[in-house]
Amino acid sequence: MFTYISRRLITSVITIFLAAILVFSALLAIPGDPAEIILGINANPKALVALHEQLGLDVAPVPRFTNWVMGAVQGDFGESLKYRKPVRGLITDRLRVSLPLAFGSVLLACLIALPLGIFAAVKKGTIFDPIVVIFSQVGAAVPSFWLALMLILFFSVKNHWLPAGGFTPWERDPSAYLRSLILPILALALGQTAVMTRMTRAAMLEVLNKDYIRTAKAKGLSSRIVLWTHALHNALVTIITILGISLTNILIGSIVIEQVFALPGLGRLALTAMGTRDYPLLQAEVMFYASAIVFLSFLVDMSYGFLDPRIRYT
Amino acid sequence: MKTFLKVLVGLLIFGLSISVAQTPEPVYGGSVNIAITAEPPGWDPTVSTSQEIARVMYHNVYEGLVRFKENGEIVPALAESWEVSDDALSWTFKIREGIKFHDGSDLTLEDIVAKFNRAKDPDSGHVHTKYFTAIETIEAGEGNTVTFTLNKPSSSLLFNLARPDSIIYPAALQESQASTPIGTGPFMFDEYIEGSEVRLIKNPDYYMAGVPYLDAVNFKIMPDPDTRFAALQSGDINLIGTSLPPEQFLQLDSLAGLKGTSGSATTEITVGMNESRAPFNNKLVRQAITYAIDKEAIVNGAMFGLGTVIGSHMSPSEPYYIDLSQQYSYNPEKARELLAEAGYPDGFTIKFELPEPYNIERRSGQVVAQQLAEVGITVDLSVVDWGTWINRIYLGHDYDMTIIGHSEPKDIGVYGNPDYYFQYNNPAVTALLDAVELELVPENQTAIYQAVAKILANDAVNVWLFSPPYLVAVSDNLYGFWQNQPTPSIDATEIYQVQ
Repeated sequence: MFTYISRRLITSVITIFLAAILVFSALLAIPGDPAEIILGINANPKALVALHEQLGLDVAPVPRFTNWVMGAVQGDFGESLKYRKPVRGLITDRLRVSLPLAFGSVLLACLIALPLGIFAAVKKGTIFDPIVVIFSQVGAAVPSFWLALMLILFFSVKNHWLPAGGFTPWERDPSAYLRSLILPILALALGQTAVMTRMTRAAMLEVLNKDYIRTAKAKGLSSRIVLWTHALHNALVTIITILGISLTNILIGSIVIEQVFALPGLGRLALTAMGTRDYPLLQAEVMFYASAIVFLSFLVDMSYGFLDPRIRYT
Repeated sequence: MKTFLKVLVGLLIFGLSISVAQTPEPVYGGSVNIAITAEPPGWDPTVSTSQEIARVMYHNVYEGLVRFKENGEIVPALAESWEVSDDALSWTFKIREGIKFHDGSDLTLEDIVAKFNRAKDPDSGHVHTKYFTAIETIEAGEGNTVTFTLNKPSSSLLFNLARPDSIIYPAALQESQASTPIGTGPFMFDEYIEGSEVRLIKNPDYYMAGVPYLDAVNFKIMPDPDTRFAALQSGDINLIGTSLPPEQFLQLDSLAGLKGTSGSATTEITVGMNESRAPFNNKLVRQAITYAIDKEAIVNGAMFGLGTVIGSHMSPSEPYYIDLSQQYSYNPEKARELLAEAGYPDGFTIKFELPEPYNIERRSGQVVAQQLAEVGITVDLSVVDWGTWINRIYLGHDYDMTIIGHSEPKDIGVYGNPDYYFQYNNPAVTALLDAVELELVPENQTAIYQAVAKILANDAVNVWLFSPPYLVAVSDNLYGFWQNQPTPSIDATEIYQVQ
């Protein structure tokens, strides 16, 4: 167990580090200069040189990168070139938008998908099963940005129930805060709900056809006990795996959704950082995403051992 | 179709003029939400040329000695009057008495002197120092005056002093302006919710009597045009005064509770050609390209008829405008002849790169590419992101052809810079542009500017397609907003909302 965890830890760190190198080289490869973008057209050459020095862009790429890595190891991710503020503060500030958005979407997706998937599996052979299957096919096929616009049209433009976009912090107005997150959460969750429903249904069907289920039924257990303890418990490994993948998808999907709903989250910050070649910010963001994804998959792997005693880590 | 569009636009303008005629009396109080499109990199217009800064801050929070009015006229702001010496080398501005900054401190002459010393110093990090090169010294004088002594007469001085970068703030607080702006304007900077909105509140001590009307203005950052328009329809936003697509503007008439205005702007949508490389170094080719492009069709097709076809680097809103749109007007036959004469009877292949952030440019560019194909020019069309555009095309001059809206007012002077991205070098133009700086009689200035415009048109330096109008979409109970855009600004001083 210990060797497994330490091995996972080492590969995680390498993965995250490789992600940072990749972003840094990509930013070097594409044309564009942060100082030029900040000063805009009509910048005078002297100001450009001065800003270059100020931003540390006059340092050669390799030392620039190693300096940044040395700082990052100590928790100092440098200063954003566009915002001229510490990157760490910017990211933690935007997390208050992106975290509730991601967790809200996953929670909503689970609340709908798990019961629906189980229900469809149990009701196989009735009219309910194909209905759920059709729903999940359509839901998975609808792109989230399109769904977002449809939600805005219905809830904001037509009925004025919810804001079309924008964000109000919790401390300023809790109800406005919640209202500003409802539509983005819906838009992000629906696609994942569909996928999770389908996977849950498939996982449950597979388990329900197993011999031990038949045995459990044969020895006279009630169908409720068979379903909730025998079947669901065994399907959980697959369901947790899907959950991990869904969270990753939601993190990535939020980049588009934040743009559509004008939410100042991590995703939009990443887009801005990309557009302005703000490499300290973008590197830190990519490292954050990479860490989150690596950590999630680690959690998922660890959970297998608890869910299924047959799984052992070596 | 063309006639239909003209009738439609005509009806719209007619409808608008009726609504303008019934302007109600101003009302005090309330707050409005205004959409902007991007997060500005700080709030100090003297360290960044981001137009979003000017849109929010110009004459709302920050003011200069003089300012633009909505119609482009330059009127007193912090200076109540000014005098010019006979040799035009000495400009004395009388500063209003008793003006306070938003932090309660007094506006001093030292603040003004320090500002322009910084503005003219190329090492100071101030943007656009070239606007201030004519200033030799600036000194505080008797009777609350400041005097600019120039090293040569400058007909653009007053204009440059009205620009968004000529604003005054407390000299000692320069460093903190990017995060906490302190100005003298009708609104005070209240709060910035990072990435989401900036809130300005009424300055109760504003020196102009009676304004502003509103208690607060919130500028909300909304990058997506569809979301902005939806937010306007749902009432979350009261005004969109930037980057309104023409098709959204045309919908306004049929939407309850909303109205639109179409005014003048100083933008020229320009197909820029790289004169430092073949085939664009051949005037015949440039003329052929100009003949090949049906500007009218672009305005109708890409802009739904909203836009004025132009023929040189001037928008109709500029005081010295001359209509040259008929020079080399659409004639594909003539274009083919000229191409053959230039030695390209079978055409050639060029790369045409469109800037990603600009929708109007992108859609116009697509039509241009199609029209060029019809005269035998093969166009390899691609879209480039903004960082690449600035770096490789604008500063690196590594491109064939591109398209961009030149939105700065009075920017025909760029043709005097041979190192500008289209690499046009004509000593006659440079000489005229130098001469106009020294010319103080407005009529003579107009004559020189028009002469420059004619040379540019004749040389077919670029293809100036059209000047798009300044489009605004607002709640129909909102009045007093700028309907023209002499400089990028959403001036809220006189905005009011009736219930």
